[in-house]
Amino acid sequence: MTGLLRAEFLKMRKRWMPYVLFILMLAGAAFIIWAMGYSTWHGDDPEFAASGLRTFAYPYSVPALLDSGQFWGSVFFVSILATSTIATEHNWGTIRPALSGGVSRSSYLLTKLLTLTLVSTVALLLALGFGIALSLWATSVADVHPRVPGGFTAGDFVLMVSRAALCIVPYGLLAFTLTVISRSTALGIAGTMGFMVLEAIAVALLGTGGGLLQDSRLLFPSHSVGSLIAENRIAGLEYETSALRDIDISDQPGVWAATVVIVAQSAFLLAASFIVFLRRDVTVSHG
Amino acid sequence: MLKTPTAEQPTTREQSDVVLRTVGLTRRYGKITAVNNLDLAVRRGQIFGFLGPNGSGKTTTIGMVLGLLRPTSGYVELFGVDTHRDLTGPLKRVGSVLEGASAYPHLSGRENLRVCAMIAGVPDARIDEMLSLVGLSERAGSKARTYSLGMRQRLAIAAALLTNPDLVVMDEPTNGLDPAGMREIRGLIRDLGAMGKTIFVSSHLLGEVEQMCDHVAILKSGRLLMQGEVKALVGQGTALEMQVTDMNRALEVLAGLDFVKGVKRDGVRLVVETASERAADVSRALAEKEIYLSELRTRQDSLEDVFLEMTEDA
Repeated sequence: MTGLLRAEFLKMRKRWMPYVLFILMLAGAAFIIWAMGYSTWHGDDPEFAASGLRTFAYPYSVPALLDSGQFWGSVFFVSILATSTIATEHNWGTIRPALSGGVSRSSYLLTKLLTLTLVSTVALLLALGFGIALSLWATSVADVHPRVPGGFTAGDFVLMVSRAALCIVPYGLLAFTLTVISRSTALGIAGTMGFMVLEAIAVALLGTGGGLLQDSRLLFPSHSVGSLIAENRIAGLEYETSALRDIDISDQPGVWAATVVIVAQSAFLLAASFIVFLRRDVTVSHG
Repeated sequence: MLKTPTAEQPTTREQSDVVLRTVGLTRRYGKITAVNNLDLAVRRGQIFGFLGPNGSGKTTTIGMVLGLLRPTSGYVELFGVDTHRDLTGPLKRVGSVLEGASAYPHLSGRENLRVCAMIAGVPDARIDEMLSLVGLSERAGSKARTYSLGMRQRLAIAAALLTNPDLVVMDEPTNGLDPAGMREIRGLIRDLGAMGKTIFVSSHLLGEVEQMCDHVAILKSGRLLMQGEVKALVGQGTALEMQVTDMNRALEVLAGLDFVKGVKRDGVRLVVETASERAADVSRALAEKEIYLSELRTRQDSLEDVFLEMTEDA
């Protein structure tokens, strides 16, 4: 397993794509702090000044960075990386010699998943660190001193990051599973992005109904994700976000219910990818 | 020597000698049967040619042998182990070169082998050894995307040999290569055979198999037509080929000889179906009737003749 992991890291670090995606994440963090936060606060419209401040000023910037980071990190970094890592092995035909050399299918897929998890975790934490560094800089440039009621502890920080990370998991696994099933980069990425757009529409439409229709929103990860992301808000205060979602705090499931739903959905996707991969024929595909 | 395609019960000694066995191996895709009840036995040290026209089921069989495809029925044994029970154990003793010569295009040749070495737990020193064996040392640092098909094929062979496997399975290893490349790969396969490796190589090129292999199995439409020694196969249909002063009379005379199984015209020559040792008797019989030979030689059936005869009959 160690050898498999080392091989996987060698393959990944020699590709240009993870670096491009990482740079995009850094650019995103800079955009949130300076364009969406600092510029909005510094701008002429006093209506948005307070939310602008909470977007760039540390520690209010942490949930703001995690909100946008969760959304775009899921869409761009994790989904594209997951899809590409799986599908290229089929397109290049390299999956066949790997499996015919005595590597079990479960070890192979598990190694892919572990590598993706480790690389995504490190890259997204670095991007968050970069965003926080910019936030500290912007806070000092603006010469503001935001206070958090009850203080902001390391425990709060870890909890916020954990919630955001959990919210990335179902989308990362959706991309992973779609690619394992389709063996296609295009279908994996388009499928994940398409799902995110469609679920946003579906959740909005179902929210207009009542009873069972409203409850059925729990089938979509975004409804539970919204609950966890909202829980990250410091003192329940809003900030500017680039995430394409509208969170109505009064209409979200409870945090524990949301956590259980996300874990269950992720487990389902994980099981589906393994069941398909362990049983299917391994051939070369193009896509 | 030659075996019919029916299953047979091997003795214990034979069994331990068999590196690869398929028993009743069948694969269906809907209504199409790609491989039909295939019984194969490849013994230690053989260079075993797996022959068949395109679409005959060779790649499907290899896919099942290597655990990439699931058999509809039947099973594969590698080194005496049923791969239904344990696939990864026996596969660690197998090196494979699959059709298409896959490689990571963004990695150099050396890095491609390093990936394989890491997975297999092979020391890095072995990488240079293999690069040198397949003649890729000079281009080892170049990205695989810049390699020609022949170079990728050699890289795939190096990867297959990295673990020093007991059995090497190759699917159409010379596909897409130029004549020089084909010759190179054939030489490499013969060298591997000389090193005592068991080689299972599929091809649709009969001449190639005849030159490389000592044993052969012929597949058509998923069915095994025969398997056996190449020497025995090509030696089966021996004939004498001759030019004579009077064709028509010679035909009459030769048809009357009891040791001649048949005579036919082949352009300006006559082809006489008989053992090569009967050449002197044939010559004497014709001379007695004042028919004289201007040319006489032994003609042996090539693998191509045997193959065409079998596949046409089938």
